[in-house]
Amino acid sequence: MLLAKTLRSSTFKWALIWITIFGAVVIALFSYVYWSTATYVRGRSDRVIAAEHAILRKIYDGAGRGGLIAAIDDRIAGGRFESGVYLLADPSLAPLAGNLKVWPSTLKGSRGWEDFSAREWKPDAVNPPVLRATFDTLPDGGHLLVGKEIDDLDEFANKIKTALLGGVALIFILAAVASVSVTRRTVGRIEAINTISRAIMQTGLGKRIPLRGTRDEWDQLAENLNSMLGRIEALMAEVKQVSDNVAHDLRTPLTRMRGRLEKANARQRNGDYDQSLIDDTMADLDAVLRMFSSLTRISQIEAGDQTSAFRTVNLSEIASEVVELFDAAAEEKHAHLDAVVDQRVLVTGDRDLLFDAVANLVDNALKYGREAGRVTVEVTQNGGAVISVADDGPGIPEDECQHVFKRFYRLERGRRTPGNGLGLSLVAAVARLHGARIEMMDNRPGLKCRLWFRLPAMS
Amino acid sequence: MVGGRRRILVIEDDPETAGQLVDFLSTRGYQVDLASDGNDGLKRGSSADYAVLTIDRMLPDIDGLAVIRRLREGGIVTPALIISALGEIDDRVRGLRAGGDDYLVKPFAFTELLARIEALARRSATVVRETVLRVGDLELDLVARTVKRAGRKIELLPREFQVLEYLVRNEGQVVPRAMLLQHVWDLHFDPTTNIIDVYVGRVRRKVDGQQAYPLIHTIRGVGFCVRAPC
Repeated sequence: MLLAKTLRSSTFKWALIWITIFGAVVIALFSYVYWSTATYVRGRSDRVIAAEHAILRKIYDGAGRGGLIAAIDDRIAGGRFESGVYLLADPSLAPLAGNLKVWPSTLKGSRGWEDFSAREWKPDAVNPPVLRATFDTLPDGGHLLVGKEIDDLDEFANKIKTALLGGVALIFILAAVASVSVTRRTVGRIEAINTISRAIMQTGLGKRIPLRGTRDEWDQLAENLNSMLGRIEALMAEVKQVSDNVAHDLRTPLTRMRGRLEKANARQRNGDYDQSLIDDTMADLDAVLRMFSSLTRISQIEAGDQTSAFRTVNLSEIASEVVELFDAAAEEKHAHLDAVVDQRVLVTGDRDLLFDAVANLVDNALKYGREAGRVTVEVTQNGGAVISVADDGPGIPEDECQHVFKRFYRLERGRRTPGNGLGLSLVAAVARLHGARIEMMDNRPGLKCRLWFRLPAMS
Repeated sequence: MVGGRRRILVIEDDPETAGQLVDFLSTRGYQVDLASDGNDGLKRGSSADYAVLTIDRMLPDIDGLAVIRRLREGGIVTPALIISALGEIDDRVRGLRAGGDDYLVKPFAFTELLARIEALARRSATVVRETVLRVGDLELDLVARTVKRAGRKIELLPREFQVLEYLVRNEGQVVPRAMLLQHVWDLHFDPTTNIIDVYVGRVRRKVDGQQAYPLIHTIRGVGFCVRAPC
């Protein structure tokens, strides 16, 4: 199963292609090494033979045939030229001197080079030895042959050939083993991830891909997939939480309305009573509808297709306008609301959405801040545009900081104030749409919410 | 062409909503024609002179925006109020709103619908350039940017003056919160907070505080109305 997968794997196919290319190059290289070694060895032996031949010709030129015969005999007796082959023959090819008994029949012409075998040279050898010789015709019509046994040369070349062939074979075997084992490892890891993926598809998001602790690329992949699964799981939980909350927040006012109508239905019509009933019911319905439009608004923003309405906007201007708009609300709570802004802090965005987000933050700060406290909206250019809204109220516990952006999330003490827990979700959605980072931090005392726009404004 | 300033074309495919619209607008003195699909709406819209037409964003045959585009191509400039269930940040609709016409998200209060229709109808009527606006004993000098109530000066911030001016210009009409936000602050969304009420509340304290009668009235769930007692 694994082997079949290994052989089908693309890694293995690539390895095969590369082994073929690499092997061809190695074979070509080794053939060249063999050819040039053989050529060199043979050339060297030819030069030695030619030199010996030249010396003997010089002796002949100086001392004549008699001198040459003496020199040849001397050379054979002294063994000066190891495994040297000599033959001096008269014009009718009858041997006169030398250690070769017969003029080889394969020698044609009056001069030249020739390889030939001579059984009588080593009668006890299994294969007739191969000799190489040069020969020519002397001015007196005689023939001179000088040569060497070249079996030992071939033996050397053969040794090299064997070594090279062995090397090639070894390289191929190693490459094949390596590619199979590497591919097998890869396929094995992928198969492990595939198995877990199938298990996740069948049984749910609870499982994770085990790490090997090697911190290699496979572990990194597994880690990324795991954190993706974690994010999906968290989102699913959030979606479930949101729908539970919607159901709860819908049921409460709807139950209230139904009870009211039921009671009214059971009693006599009464102008004043009916009027207040209708007013209350409409107010409840409005709250439900507002919740719905907030939800659809947030999901539309999160769908992220509003960027076509993006323009260059001045955050400072928005902050000042929000502060001005909330001036009356701050006055009602005896709070100080200030804007501390740089002149021009430009971002690329949707003015309506940014205004709504900042308005929500200021609204929260006034609602949950200290009575007669201070709320400051600050806009600065500090490694990107930054807008922050800070109050000096009780703040929120640090471990709640990440949760406040969830839909319908409300702190215990917030349950008594009006609101639906969607304001900060909207702020978070607007921030995400604008590529801004949103942070909640301790203002010592109080709470500070900061939006940091990392994208520069369009020019 | 026949028609007039009190004639309205309603293009709506849902029979119950259409019936409610016709009933409501008729009781407010409008003469209402009903078209139940885009083609019918296109035909009626081209043949008669209406003060305003209301059109559903999603119709069974032609898209509401396409109907308006075809009417405009045919030279019909009747202001259109688009009624949409798609939500307020539908880009194309918002673009339209920023331009000539207006739009409303389902579900809506009939008073808000009426306020928007009347605002559109007034737009197609002649605008008289005035320098002083009066309601009851309230007097707004648009040139000096001053406000007097019963002859005594009232100090208003520039934005508060704009709010009051817009309400007074629409005397007797209900001004929805979103419309106020749109015309005074140039913002195009329905505020989820009660901030507009608080802001208008302060204007009201300055204008109506210790006076013989109130001028600025809150219309629950919709917006505000400036009205002098009869």
